[in-house]
Amino acid sequence: MYMNHAVLTARGLTKTFGLPAGRQAHTAVDHISFDVKEGEVLGILGPNGAGKTTTIYMFLNLIIPTAGDLVIFGMRYPDDHEAILQQMNFASAYMDMMPRLTVMENLRIMAHLYRVPNPKDRIVVLAKTVGIEDLLRWEHQKLSAGQKTRVQLCKAFLNNPKLLLLDEPTASLDPDISVSVRREIRAAKRRGMSIVITSHNMAEVEEICDRVVFINHGKILAENTPEELAKAVRKVRVQLMIKDGKKRTIAYAKRAGFPVTASDRFVTIDVDEDDIAYLLAGLADKGVQYRQIAIDKPTLEDYFITMTKENL
Amino acid sequence: MNGARIGAIILKFWFDTKRDLFRLFDIFWWPAFNLFVWGLLSSYLTRVATGSINFVLLFLAGTIFWSFFDRATRDISRSMVEEQWNRNLPNIFSTPLTLTEYVVGVLAVGTIKLFVGGAFLLILATVFYGFEMGALGWFLFPAMVGLMMFGWSVSFVMQAMVLRYGHTVEVFIWAVTVLLQPFSAVFYPVNVLPSWAQVVARLLPPTYLFEAMRAVITGAPVEPGAMVVSFSLNALYLALSVAYFYRTFHYAKLHGLLTK
Repeated sequence: MYMNHAVLTARGLTKTFGLPAGRQAHTAVDHISFDVKEGEVLGILGPNGAGKTTTIYMFLNLIIPTAGDLVIFGMRYPDDHEAILQQMNFASAYMDMMPRLTVMENLRIMAHLYRVPNPKDRIVVLAKTVGIEDLLRWEHQKLSAGQKTRVQLCKAFLNNPKLLLLDEPTASLDPDISVSVRREIRAAKRRGMSIVITSHNMAEVEEICDRVVFINHGKILAENTPEELAKAVRKVRVQLMIKDGKKRTIAYAKRAGFPVTASDRFVTIDVDEDDIAYLLAGLADKGVQYRQIAIDKPTLEDYFITMTKENL
Repeated sequence: MNGARIGAIILKFWFDTKRDLFRLFDIFWWPAFNLFVWGLLSSYLTRVATGSINFVLLFLAGTIFWSFFDRATRDISRSMVEEQWNRNLPNIFSTPLTLTEYVVGVLAVGTIKLFVGGAFLLILATVFYGFEMGALGWFLFPAMVGLMMFGWSVSFVMQAMVLRYGHTVEVFIWAVTVLLQPFSAVFYPVNVLPSWAQVVARLLPPTYLFEAMRAVITGAPVEPGAMVVSFSLNALYLALSVAYFYRTFHYAKLHGLLTK
């Protein structure tokens, strides 16, 4: 389910934090503009300190923007604070709850804040989904980081939000739980929920996001589908299992200016996509023989690393 | 304003109190401890002193009334501090909860605790020291309301300071009632204070209430004008402190302090 209707529109959104006298103000988010469409999963990517979390907090009205326009469900803060937040929810791997209260008690309070009907039943159903049904009677302070993340996810689905904001939702989760969380995110998307997700897990973003906004130093550097962003990285990795001519291969790659590494019988060469034919023809000329060849296409992670390096 | 969301804040404090026995200590133990210290002192003074002054009534009424201010200040100030300690502010304020609903919920919890704690102290004072609540008559109600109002004013300022300056100012939450007590004429008339301290005392609404309390106990007339001054100051301070608190909450959102 994918519609063109935008549930969130940010235009020129900017956040500058003032610092004590004598020091410069810090612009955490710098004139960013993008939409979140109905039923879409949008990934916000960027290195630490890029402005991802500040952006999420502005969506939640926890931080007031310095400039720009933010429209959510056709409404604006502060006038429509309650109406907007009633239809949103949020989970962060780094957020805590009341430590001495049990998981059930914490979730009941949140359910009341969202005016969820039959809160206990709803909590039990969601707890099963995110695998915390055995933890409901536990004090929150006794949970591991991964368990706390799952409790946050349970909280995030309490009011069946139209727009869900997830800050590193699978950080510190075991792989099997991460899989079930991703499954739940996809199921939510199928139900028409719009989701904004920040993550450092590139494979996860590639798997579940329809579109990615790449932020660094508070600015949007790119916005596209994960596949298109990955294509923007022209480098591919050619891995050869050499039968004869390992030294010739390394020498040829170095002369041609391709980054090369070698281990045992394997030689790995980074080349532009357009240069693959040139590389293989050159190796054939040198009489290099190989048993096996693997060409790794660029991933979103490659894009992330490239863009982060370029924008340091 | 939504009742369910205010109810959620009350539910939160109920769960928290239920889970933590030390909170019950805070409601019952420390005020009772204070009451016994003053009760024993006043019993001793009654035995050795000559004259008709009822020290038990004077000191115990002072202790009980002061506990209203003390509790109102600390309970409400502490709520925001605890949310910060638990990094729970983004959780609760990313919901549709409004600041006014949060404040109403916190005040409702504070008032319930105040009346439970106050009733407990009155019963203890009656049982152990023969404290005559009836001797205070009509005065009991305005005294409780006035002291609670001033406690709220101080607590709004404390909460705002914690929001703005962080944990470094938490010490004031515990110290503020101790700092104000000498100027509030709780156990002695205001005219025994040095003249500069009397000026400070006249700016504090509790001063007039404690002066009136002594008048009621000794059978002297209560000056209606003094009560009007007390409640006018209370209304002014409450309005200013609420405005300061709301402004600081806005400042905290502007500067990202809620999410720290």
